[in-house]
Amino acid sequence: MQNDVRELRTARGLSQQELGEAMDVSRQTINSIEKERYTPSLPLAIALARYFDRTVEEVFHANGNQ
Amino acid sequence: MPTATSKPIYRHRWWTPAVSLFLGALMLAAFWIGDSITEGLVSFGIMAALAAFLLFGRSETVHGLSGPGRDERWAKIDIHATALTGMVLITVIIGAFLVEVAQGEDGQPWSQLGAVGGIAYIIAVAVLRARS
Repeated sequence: MQNDVRELRTARGLSQQELGEAMDVSRQTINSIEKERYTPSLPLAIALARYFDRTVEEVFHANGNQ
Repeated sequence: MPTATSKPIYRHRWWTPAVSLFLGALMLAAFWIGDSITEGLVSFGIMAALAAFLLFGRSETVHGLSGPGRDERWAKIDIHATALTGMVLITVIIGAFLVEVAQGEDGQPWSQLGAVGGIAYIIAVAVLRARS
């Protein structure tokens, strides 16, 4: 699923490791989300959106690859 | 939610290595009871080596297998890998059963293993459907 996680993360100066620790997932999972290889669960998508003070729709774009 | 602070026990780095050591100890005890202490020590050594590999390995695969990397993505990987493993096992069991029967044997224990697999699958589907 297309998303803006990489842009939002780098705008805050966070590493994938730091964002992963904040979300309680691995660095590789953040990398997979950013590369659109893995679609996060709804709870994780909500947590990511809240972390960046956005809505889920603003971070994830369902009309993208899927 | 992902921000929870306490980790389930299976996400601690020592969990799977400890399970491996425990299984190794069970194997050692079983071989010992069967008066085959040498084979028991070899089995325990193999399981101890596996535990060390899981405890000190650095790759994501090792971290996922040993516990710390088990987040929701890993859970999905684990489910798919388990399903694939089940497909491989049931294929082998059916194949072995057919070969045994074609050779004039009674197909044991492959028919029993296949029955266990089939019944377990049906029960799992029924329970998971009721809980979802």
